[in-house]
Amino acid sequence: MKSAILTDLTRCTGCEACVMACREINGLPRTSENHRLNAHTWTAIEHHQGIPIRRHCMQCEQPSCVAACPVGALTKTSEGAVIYDAGRCMGCRYCMIACPFSIPKYEWQARIPRVQKCSFCYDSALKKGHEPACTAACPSGATIYGEREALIKEAQQRIATHPQRYIPTLYGLTEAGGASVLYLSAMPFEKLGFPATIQHKPYPDLTWQELSRIPTMVSAGAAFLFSAWWIINRRIKMANESERSSDQTA
Amino acid sequence: MKIGFSRISFWGCVAAIIWTLGIYATVVRFFYGLGAATHLSDSVPWGLWIGLDILVGVGLAAGGFFITAMVYLFNLKEYQPIVRPAILTSFLGYGLVIITLLFDLGKPYHIWRPIVMWNHHSVMFEVGWCVLLYTLVLFFEFSPMALERLGLKKPLSLMTRSIPFLVMSGVLLSTLHQSSLGSLYLLVPDKMHPLWYSPLLPFLFFSSAVAAGLAMVIFESYLSSRAFGRALEFSLLVRLSRILVPVVLLYGIIRFKDLAGRGVLGAAFSGSQESLLFMAEVLFGLVLPIIVFSIPAWRNQRAGLFLGAVLVLLGFILNRLNVSITALVGSADVEYTPSWMEWAITASMAAAGVAVFRLAVKHLPVFTHQDTQAKQVNPPLLEPGQAGAGVMAGLGGLLFLLLMALLFGLNRKQAAAKSLDGEAKPLSASAVLRLPAAIVFEPDEASPGRVTFHHQTHVDPTRPGCVSCHATTFRIRPIKSGQAGTVKMDSLYAGKQCGICHNGEQAFRADEECENCHSGR
Repeated sequence: MKSAILTDLTRCTGCEACVMACREINGLPRTSENHRLNAHTWTAIEHHQGIPIRRHCMQCEQPSCVAACPVGALTKTSEGAVIYDAGRCMGCRYCMIACPFSIPKYEWQARIPRVQKCSFCYDSALKKGHEPACTAACPSGATIYGEREALIKEAQQRIATHPQRYIPTLYGLTEAGGASVLYLSAMPFEKLGFPATIQHKPYPDLTWQELSRIPTMVSAGAAFLFSAWWIINRRIKMANESERSSDQTA
Repeated sequence: MKIGFSRISFWGCVAAIIWTLGIYATVVRFFYGLGAATHLSDSVPWGLWIGLDILVGVGLAAGGFFITAMVYLFNLKEYQPIVRPAILTSFLGYGLVIITLLFDLGKPYHIWRPIVMWNHHSVMFEVGWCVLLYTLVLFFEFSPMALERLGLKKPLSLMTRSIPFLVMSGVLLSTLHQSSLGSLYLLVPDKMHPLWYSPLLPFLFFSSAVAAGLAMVIFESYLSSRAFGRALEFSLLVRLSRILVPVVLLYGIIRFKDLAGRGVLGAAFSGSQESLLFMAEVLFGLVLPIIVFSIPAWRNQRAGLFLGAVLVLLGFILNRLNVSITALVGSADVEYTPSWMEWAITASMAAAGVAVFRLAVKHLPVFTHQDTQAKQVNPPLLEPGQAGAGVMAGLGGLLFLLLMALLFGLNRKQAAAKSLDGEAKPLSASAVLRLPAAIVFEPDEASPGRVTFHHQTHVDPTRPGCVSCHATTFRIRPIKSGQAGTVKMDSLYAGKQCGICHNGEQAFRADEECENCHSGR
């Protein structure tokens, strides 16, 4: 089953219960701030246009960070979570550059730092078939957990029944090639702190186009270099030999 | 001789100061973490070390593969005299890149991980492998210098025989990772400024690295001829500049064709911070060197040749810093000025490069083609006029640094004003209405009066932060279902329930001013 989260921003009261629940289940310090993502805040309530906006990892279907990581420390599980293995990470921070939503954060103050982000409660809940802490804590039902296809249907139905309440965009359906976190809103997303421009194709395609060319490039390059060297070398040898033989005849 | 001595000790002092600062920065970096030593942040995860030490460092070391290919594969034997210094420069360059990487990586002791943990979808993985393998290739290409010095004939002849294959793999590996450093940024089309994001980044990175590598060979040959009183392979360097110019031109044409093709050429003249840095990059890296190199009287003079090479290098440095910092910082709407410790490490690496190069030249047969003929044609020491040119180039470099400092300093945008956007807005009616209805607590016999709790008076409706109460004292769900629960004055006085805040510090005391709550309404 591909799990997903649907957050209906028109129903969110900004109570921050999700933030607290996230801290509790992940053992994160309670003191840090609730309004901006950082290494100790994996979901945050941002405020844009006077509206509370819950932000966390989009759990992309084909994540940019997973393609970026040179050691495979980030993976997308079959349940839908994008998870991080600190034991593999070497700390290059390419995932932070790569993420179109700028979600991964770093423990800058730590001597041995880790990349930190929402893991869809993979180890504590999702793996066992439970729902993540944040959706379980939401008192208003603004953020709910379910099967991705079912949530897409639910969201589209809400848009159809209340066309005056929502803009006709289900964010996360095709954004970044599709994500496991979906949003409904009354306002365009770029006004709510979401990226101003976003591709609707999977991001890893952009670098795979180059990477997949490498075997051809290398073999063609090697063939060219070797033949150039071989031809030039042979001509020099032949020139030397003919010189020698002409010396001998003389 | 005396002048020479005092010059050395002066630079010795400079190096000592730089390394002292560098050692301090190293201690801070490894004992207190990246946050303590650098100005890197979640918005700027890659800074000066990636931009200047790694992107620029790898590019400047590109001379090695190009010159070795010319000599060993295409048999252009006339370039033989500069092969060894070029290999040495590249080898040192990659060594320094790897050392700086140890500073920049969060877990430097995991640097070997890509060797065993593969992700062939990652450009970084590919770059890592190529840099590793190419450094090995450079080590083998460099080894004849040491073997010759040690008089080890057998391994030396083995190296000499395998050189064509080393060079071939060097060319392939370099082509791959020089372009792939550009491919790294292909992943972020939305975060990068359009003046620098381009689908052609791999090609642009490769061609500019070739130009920078060649310019570096000219630069380094000129300086070592000054420092070591060595004959300058002048005619060779002029010939190199004749290769350099078309490479720079080709790069420039593709760069502008690409900008025009994507319709963002207008952004280059918008007068924004980015456009100024873009123009500086084009001026130093393209316009000025082409002017200098196209005037024969300048090109055929050492000073002119050196100046042209320096300009190409400055333009290249600006380009890489723009790609790695300017282009990304703008969209993140943050400021980034490297910390002094970041600069100290960068400067220490550069000084170490120069020092090791000097040592190698002193003790190893690096400049083997120091034939007397050349010495007669080109006097080894500089004439007064050329020393002046060196000073001029130095001044130019200083000016350039100032300009850069100025432009990067301008990065201080009003980031604060923008990030607080949401707060400054007046509260919308709907946001207020979202707060739950008032909760009525009916009085018992001892109570002075009924209490009605209003959410509006307890939280800012635009930023309710409900969990300041609900996570600890009061549960959300029961209240939502209409049961008010019970509140006892004793627990208030004990600092529980309402008493957590109503203690005279955060709000008025619960054991005074009863009618504030017990209004009876």
